[in-house]
Amino acid sequence: MKKNRSGLVMLGIVALLYLILGILHPDKTVAALWTSLGVLKMIIPILLLVFFLMALLNVYIDEKAISRHMGEESGLKGWFLALFGGILSHGPGYVWYPLLQNLREQGAKDGLIVAFVYARAIKIPWIPLMITYFGWTFTLVYTFWVVVGAWLQGIVAQRLMRK
Amino acid sequence: MKQKLKAAASGTLKSLRMIAPMLLAIIGLIGLFKTYITPEMLRTLFNGSALHDMLVGVGFGGISVGQPFLSYIIGGELLKEGASFYGVTAFILAFVTLGVVQLPMEFSIFGFRFALVRNLLSLLFSFVLAFLIAFCVRMFA
Repeated sequence: MKKNRSGLVMLGIVALLYLILGILHPDKTVAALWTSLGVLKMIIPILLLVFFLMALLNVYIDEKAISRHMGEESGLKGWFLALFGGILSHGPGYVWYPLLQNLREQGAKDGLIVAFVYARAIKIPWIPLMITYFGWTFTLVYTFWVVVGAWLQGIVAQRLMRK
Repeated sequence: MKQKLKAAASGTLKSLRMIAPMLLAIIGLIGLFKTYITPEMLRTLFNGSALHDMLVGVGFGGISVGQPFLSYIIGGELLKEGASFYGVTAFILAFVTLGVVQLPMEFSIFGFRFALVRNLLSLLFSFVLAFLIAFCVRMFA
């Protein structure tokens, strides 16, 4: 992972934004702060899980295994792993970024990472709600095209970013 | 083995420390967006024509943040208010696959080129898939 100061700069900008909005709309801004704390509380367990997975990955899986399962030679199995993993992963996308970057650094194909991220548009726990709002037809058609789209996007990205 | 685990744990802590400021910044922004951009504000922008609704849907889906179920609820309400399936699908897709708010984090973790290509492709696919999904739904329904 690249070390840079953009995180600190960004945090400074957001703090400044809160300060300005806090002066203009104190009630709303305090509500926003509480919302943020709620989000933080929600993602901490997921974050710990992701970082634990990263640690396991570093200890038990060597680069050869990654490149076999997700590297240039991974073929269909690699696509299947990426799409299935994306569908099953839960929590906000940004929580997964460090783990995915770790996989890239160990030799995983860029296309597979892109496919993983897009396949996350399918959220298994929320499927019943989608059916309630939009019906079975929509849910099935949506799921089908998102999987196809994630795969196509991975292929295009792989061509564009060939390592 | 013990040493390996220890090294992994310290590596994990190091990467956690490295992304902490950006993560906190993004979470702070999410709170602001959730509070300041309301579903009512989104609802007034859709007018029912496919292309217009798709553009608005992708635009607002891309800048909105939150749990995916929010996009279903807002999408369902928009549909009731007369927005087209094209626009609502584009909104849901952009909501869950694009994140303008978390872009700086994506750039800093993956690097500029990867993040740019991924986001441009997701943007393009929000339109393409929204069209295909809405078209198929109309055909089957």
